[in-house]
Amino acid sequence: MAEIKIENVTKRFGDFTAVDNANLTIEDKEFMVLVGPSGCGKTTLLRSIAGLGMADEGRIMIGGRDVTYLPPRERQISMVFQSYAIFPHMKVYDNIAFGLKMTKVDKKEINRRVNEAAELLHIEELLDRYPNNMSGGQRQRVAVARAIAMQAEVLLMDEPLSNLDALLRLEMRAELKKLLADINATTIYVTHDQIEALSMGDRIAVMKDGLVQQVDQPTTIYDRPANSFVGGFIGNPPMNFMTGQVQKDNGQILVKVGDSLLTPASFIQEQVGKYEGDSITVGIRAENMETLVDPTTDAIPVTVDVVEPLGSQNLLTVRIGDDRVKVSTHPDLAVRAGQKVWLRFPAEKIRWIERQSGKVLYS
Amino acid sequence: MKKRNWTPYWLILPTLIYLALFFAYPMVRGLILSVWDDEASLRLQSTASITSDAAGDLPQGTQIRLLDRQGNLLSDEVADAANLLTEQWFLATGVDVEGNNIEGWVSENRLRIREEAEDGTPIMGTIRRKLGSTADPLTDIHESASSVSPVIAKVEARTELFVQEVATLEVWFQIEGENETGETLTGWVPSRFIQVYGDEESGRIDRANQGAFTLEFFEKMVNDRFFWPAVRTTLLLMLFIIPAQFVLATVMALVIQARLRFNSIFLYIFSIPLGVSDLAVGILFFSIFTQNGLLNSVLQGLGLITQAQPYLTADTRHWILIAIWLAELWRATSIVMVIVVSGLQAISDEVLEAAELFGASFWQRLWHVILPLLKPSLQVALILRTILAVQVFAVVIALSGGDIVTVLANETFRQYFEFRNGNVASAYAVFILALSMLSAVFYLRAVRTQQELS
Amino acid sequence: MSKLTSETIALHKRMQARQKLNRTFAYVTAILIALWILIPIFFIFSMAFTTQETVRSYPKNFLPFIPFSTETMQFFLNSAGIVPGVINSLIVAILTLVISTLIAAPAGYAISRYIFPGRNFFRLSILAVRAFPIVVLSIPLAVLFIRVGMFDSIYSLALMHTALALPTTILVIGSVFASVPYELEEAAQVFGCTPFQAFRHVVLPLVLPGIAASAVFTFVLSWNEVFAASILTVQNRTLPAQVLFALSQSSEAYQFAGGFFMLIPALIFMWFIRKYLFNMWGQVSK
Repeated sequence: MAEIKIENVTKRFGDFTAVDNANLTIEDKEFMVLVGPSGCGKTTLLRSIAGLGMADEGRIMIGGRDVTYLPPRERQISMVFQSYAIFPHMKVYDNIAFGLKMTKVDKKEINRRVNEAAELLHIEELLDRYPNNMSGGQRQRVAVARAIAMQAEVLLMDEPLSNLDALLRLEMRAELKKLLADINATTIYVTHDQIEALSMGDRIAVMKDGLVQQVDQPTTIYDRPANSFVGGFIGNPPMNFMTGQVQKDNGQILVKVGDSLLTPASFIQEQVGKYEGDSITVGIRAENMETLVDPTTDAIPVTVDVVEPLGSQNLLTVRIGDDRVKVSTHPDLAVRAGQKVWLRFPAEKIRWIERQSGKVLYS
Repeated sequence: MKKRNWTPYWLILPTLIYLALFFAYPMVRGLILSVWDDEASLRLQSTASITSDAAGDLPQGTQIRLLDRQGNLLSDEVADAANLLTEQWFLATGVDVEGNNIEGWVSENRLRIREEAEDGTPIMGTIRRKLGSTADPLTDIHESASSVSPVIAKVEARTELFVQEVATLEVWFQIEGENETGETLTGWVPSRFIQVYGDEESGRIDRANQGAFTLEFFEKMVNDRFFWPAVRTTLLLMLFIIPAQFVLATVMALVIQARLRFNSIFLYIFSIPLGVSDLAVGILFFSIFTQNGLLNSVLQGLGLITQAQPYLTADTRHWILIAIWLAELWRATSIVMVIVVSGLQAISDEVLEAAELFGASFWQRLWHVILPLLKPSLQVALILRTILAVQVFAVVIALSGGDIVTVLANETFRQYFEFRNGNVASAYAVFILALSMLSAVFYLRAVRTQQELS
Repeated sequence: MSKLTSETIALHKRMQARQKLNRTFAYVTAILIALWILIPIFFIFSMAFTTQETVRSYPKNFLPFIPFSTETMQFFLNSAGIVPGVINSLIVAILTLVISTLIAAPAGYAISRYIFPGRNFFRLSILAVRAFPIVVLSIPLAVLFIRVGMFDSIYSLALMHTALALPTTILVIGSVFASVPYELEEAAQVFGCTPFQAFRHVVLPLVLPGIAASAVFTFVLSWNEVFAASILTVQNRTLPAQVLFALSQSSEAYQFAGGFFMLIPALIFMWFIRKYLFNMWGQVSK
């Protein structure tokens, strides 16, 4: 059992609060991804869990044990570092065996585990080499092998793929995901890449400015972001935001966007209605709008500014009121820049966002 | 075909030329100087001319008999040589025994100068009278300034001659002596190589012009009464200074790496000794250990002693060594610290964190990660320090005057300066070089880095 | 929310106490080492600026500069051969730094900017030159200089000091150049500079402080050098050589003032180049 509980953890560097009262529970054997822009405190939080920087306040529990003030070696954890932190003076074998040697594991057992880890990462032929002339990908594999050879119940990964080139990153992502599923450790994985987060995590914790914004499953994070930051950070292209005016017409709550009116879905009418006479932010993902080339009554007429063919889809940039909106369309739909099209907004896909707080309204 | 870019070669060319001229060449010369006796033997010529055939070599120091002498025009480059015997010849005009007006050369042995100009230039002289009954009473006048040139006239004693010109000749001797194999050789040599004894008929070969390989200088060095004390002291200092320096330097490096407040000021203070000369450091510690210096003043002030204790005397040799040890520790630890700090800075934080995370305690990290990664730096520092320790010089002079306690560099200096023996000094220098190289090789082997292994 | 257990709090307190202790220990160590370095300097400083009578007195006062006087220092500076010695030392040091910088700068640029066959060999030879003892070089150079009639000249001493300083200067300047990315030069060329202009306007301003630091270090090296200076000069002695030869016949006032005078450049220059030290030696030890 290695459930990780982070309770009210705060970490400051001088006047700067890197992690602000974070609360997070990672279930046993869960794959949790910490994601956020650089400087959001995700790495600091990970390092607090690792013990590479004590939390100023709060408590960290691993498997029911309070480890807040324990040095790293007593926390029974394992880690993959961003720069890999391969010991340059040791052969790959000794690198992988390092942690086991330090914790005085039996020699035969070390040998077995090192070979097993090397086999899992396909680096058996590197075991006898020094890391000097290895490629980034090879070092990365060594770093992961060293971490999993420990067979710790908790595995921490600090942006392990960020130093690889794009193609290799794609390859390693899938391989890592499969590997981590097999070894069954509680994993905390830090990344700034939202696609990595979406594709790998059992759950995702999105952080910004030291605060945990939302913790949930990838699909939920994507579909039902807690606030405009999460909506804008997760997904490519990011969620579109438009300014709308809430008004009441015949008891019906309507939102005016540009020159057109949108009707909130029935289950959210009441919530949106609270902002009557006020402005509200309308959020919708690019793929959730339907593009029609012929005039339609329940669709908003817009002019296409830019067409970006991406192969699997075409990305249109259109203007609604003062806001630019990205719309993804089927590649077969022939649209040129300057052409007029009609966008249909499915009511249940629209997210209504409070302007001040950026909070998304849910029923 | 790719065209080779010659730019870098042009850029390093001045360095190469400079180092060849002022480093490689003197280095080779130094090596040669220590095993090559420039004046091993003297070459005898078959006639009194440097261009004549060689008549064999006699070793320096050979006792010889002088058979004959002759003057030869003195060349400018040997005009200042020691032991030079010269005679002057005059181009003179006058009337010969037959009453003809003549002009020819006569030796100063035959012409007594009677009148000189204000600057000492001879103007007029008279022919000396010849002593001995059997000799020809007339004096030969030669065609040129040499006793072997044709005689053009003869003059009587007391004839007045007017001097037109003066020439200086170097005397050459025809000598006879035995070489190492007992063979007797005869030949002509210039006077500057010969020391003539009082009887004017014998002498010894004082200097020589033929070089030969010799171990004589190394023998002289080893047999010098200061050699073994110097070796002992140098090695002793090396043995005690270097470990202490490494410990102190590591402590200093860790303090600097701890990033305390005022770190910049600590760094400044710690690096001051780096810019202080060994002479100044010697004087610094002299001011502490001298009889009325700081140490005695403090001890007396604390009431620990009642009168000044002598430290830097022949009877308190151990105190001199301690003072040298402290002075070297003071002076040269900074450089080790700087090297260790830059070595520490080169170790990435993540590597140390990884070691910590994978279960290594502080001492395990130090032993398994930090020290192995510091190896190249330590190696450089060790080699550098040893080379400096082997050369320790001015500190010793300042603290002991260079007599009571002596070191190899000091003996090199003494041989060169006091005894004017560049060869033995070079032998010392070569010995120091060998010692440095040996220790460098030793460290490279002992502290082998993994790059060399792979 | 769960409460902190008393055990956790105790552990926390212990950790904090230990950290504080470590910190205090580090400060105490730092101050002790600083005192070990400063006390001798301070003592000789106070001896250099007092009366000769005080220098001769015993036991000496613990309070420095009592009485404060420039007498000792003046006595030293007025001694025979000191002013010419200082002038000679300055000339030699400045010549050394100028020649070695001029020769080393192109070589440093070459090893940092170009990969060429023989580069490693060049670097290694430079390192090897650095590892040779001064003593070994001085004697044959003296003999050589006598032979070519350049003996007892401060210019030949400057040539010798340049040979000593050159390897370090090359490696340091090389590392300084290496710290300026080549892309900057290329960018300058793209924006219309000739290679020389790119060097002059982009690289030079960036490397100047580093080169200045290395020049200062060369200056100090030459100013301090005793052995070669004593061997190579007789009439035209540099300051250290002059002091060394006068040592056995001089009073303590002369020695102390001379000792302090010689370490003044170290006190001044180390302040300016302390930050470059690691750059210099870090590179050299790689």
